[in-house]
Amino acid sequence: MPTRPERYPANRLFVLLATAFALLFAFLVVVLAIDQERVRDLSESLQQQTVPKIIRFQRLARNVDQLRQEGERIFSSDTPEDRQQSLYLVMLIASHPSILEHSQAATAARDTESFLAETGRLAAQDPATLRIQYGEWQQLSRRLSLLVDDVLIEGANLATADLEGAAAAMRLTRYKLMGATALLGGFLLALMILLRRHLLRPLEKVDRALSSLSVDRPAPEFPDGSLAEIHAIEEATKHLHEAMVSHDAARRELQLLANRDDLTGLMNRRHFMESATTELRRAQRYGRSTVVALGDLDFFKSLNDTYGHGAGDTVLRTFAGLLTESLRQSDLVCRYGGEEFAFLFPESTVEQAHILVERFRARCAGHEIQLPDGLVVRVTLSIGLADASDCTIDLALQRADLALYEAKRMGRNRVVVATEAA
Amino acid sequence: MSPRLRHFLASLFAAACLAAATVAHSATTTLQVAVLENAPPMSFRGADGRLTGFSVELARALCAEMKVHCEFQVTVLDRVVDALAGGEIDIAAVSLLDTPERRRRILFARPHLRSVTLWFARPGVEPGERGLRVAVVRGSAQEAYARKQGWDTVGVPSSGALGAPLLAGIAQAAIVPMNASLHLQGNQDFRKLGLAATVMAVPELVGNSSFGINPGRPELKAAVDDALDRILRNGVYDRINTQFLPFRVR
Repeated sequence: MPTRPERYPANRLFVLLATAFALLFAFLVVVLAIDQERVRDLSESLQQQTVPKIIRFQRLARNVDQLRQEGERIFSSDTPEDRQQSLYLVMLIASHPSILEHSQAATAARDTESFLAETGRLAAQDPATLRIQYGEWQQLSRRLSLLVDDVLIEGANLATADLEGAAAAMRLTRYKLMGATALLGGFLLALMILLRRHLLRPLEKVDRALSSLSVDRPAPEFPDGSLAEIHAIEEATKHLHEAMVSHDAARRELQLLANRDDLTGLMNRRHFMESATTELRRAQRYGRSTVVALGDLDFFKSLNDTYGHGAGDTVLRTFAGLLTESLRQSDLVCRYGGEEFAFLFPESTVEQAHILVERFRARCAGHEIQLPDGLVVRVTLSIGLADASDCTIDLALQRADLALYEAKRMGRNRVVVATEAA
Repeated sequence: MSPRLRHFLASLFAAACLAAATVAHSATTTLQVAVLENAPPMSFRGADGRLTGFSVELARALCAEMKVHCEFQVTVLDRVVDALAGGEIDIAAVSLLDTPERRRRILFARPHLRSVTLWFARPGVEPGERGLRVAVVRGSAQEAYARKQGWDTVGVPSSGALGAPLLAGIAQAAIVPMNASLHLQGNQDFRKLGLAATVMAVPELVGNSSFGINPGRPELKAAVDDALDRILRNGVYDRINTQFLPFRVR
């Protein structure tokens, strides 16, 4: 027993895919939101914590520079009071917590305070000592200036570290965004491939199959699909083809029944006239000669009266069988009415047709027909033959009928060819 | 008009009224701010009689930053903690050292300056010497410290008056906050006394100073702190610092 391939309902499959897509999308959004939050935190940290720290370094630098300026003022002032004021400020700045909390600045401030206090003390005794002390002050002043630069850079570097952190976070976010885009793109591509493979292409095949669905063609074949709905459509298409074939067979059967004589199985008169007209037109169009004939069983009425209608029917059926065996496939023959039969011989001259019907007449006359009650009878046939190459079927049959009448008149069981005048 | 639309319009109207009320409340909020009068360079009257100084201008900047109207009430340091604790004032624009005694009674804003305390006396005269009378501002942390040490003190109402007992010979030493000492040092008569200044290495007299806040209005602390953060970042604070003090005090 062949294994039935596993199939999935399309609606469930698409719900599953949509859920997977939604979950993936939500996951990526959460990942990106976390990154965005991280960048926001870094930015907030920069603003709330780092910037105040930088400003604090700027204030420290300002105080260190103030220390240097007060030192300069001590050397440039003319009065001991001014020097005292500056020394006082130097003491305050050197003692201020903003200086003391920075070890480098605290050391420099302490050195500056003690040097300037000593300078002030010496200057109070002899102002000329200021000039002597100035060389050493210049070195100390330069040290303070460099310290100002260092402190400012130290503060600025705090922002650099934060900004680098933010830049790294944003870079990471960008990579994640690119990855997320690629992932989503890949997912959509895979979805499109799956849709194309399992939905669109099978539908195209069904479409092609439906477009060319015909009873003349074999039943459409479909590869095993994965989607239950597609498989159902394919199966429906096959069933449709089967129904079409079945209906066509029924139609043919009905057509056959409509065109045949019930008793003999030969063409009926209506179908013969249609077919003969068409055939005659074709033959006349191509200049081919055609012959028609009308045949009538001799004394059939008395046979009926003597042996009954059942016997008459048997005779007619047997006669029809003989006709079918004897005539060419291209020849047309029908039960024209009662015991009368019409013929059309395409591609035949009168002479050729005459030979043919004459042979048949002879065969018929010698053929024994066994009736249902066991009796054996023989029947003869009178035939009128007429050329139909240049007239209508009706006219040709009229001529043939006259010839038949002539054959009857001349004693039956014979073939008479109609004359042109007739 | 459908009930749903009517409900929506009613909600919109209520929200608009609430927003308008909030804006109106914000626009008409008035804070009572206590300032000192004779405490240069922190708080004093200028030549035109207008109150000014580091603390006063800082308070104005904070009020502007908070977008509230502030009414200044002149007081003395001795009254500040009581006035805050009693809810007479909302903010004390006074640099208060954060001491446990004060913290029990009032709220402190975020520190706006760091200070030290100086001992002013003749060279060689050390704190705590017997027979020494020490000038202090009444209600100050320095006064509380001196009393705790059992020193004999001479209280003055404001830091601007600290020089007077020394010049009059009533006191032989003074305990002076850093910023007030700048004013004293600028006084020629005071300098003639020949006093030496020494930074007092006492933990409770060194460190952060903050504005005081009415303990009954804790929401004010967050507002003042946020406003202070902003003016510390936007340069307003440093401009006031430069205007009144010779170096950065924070």
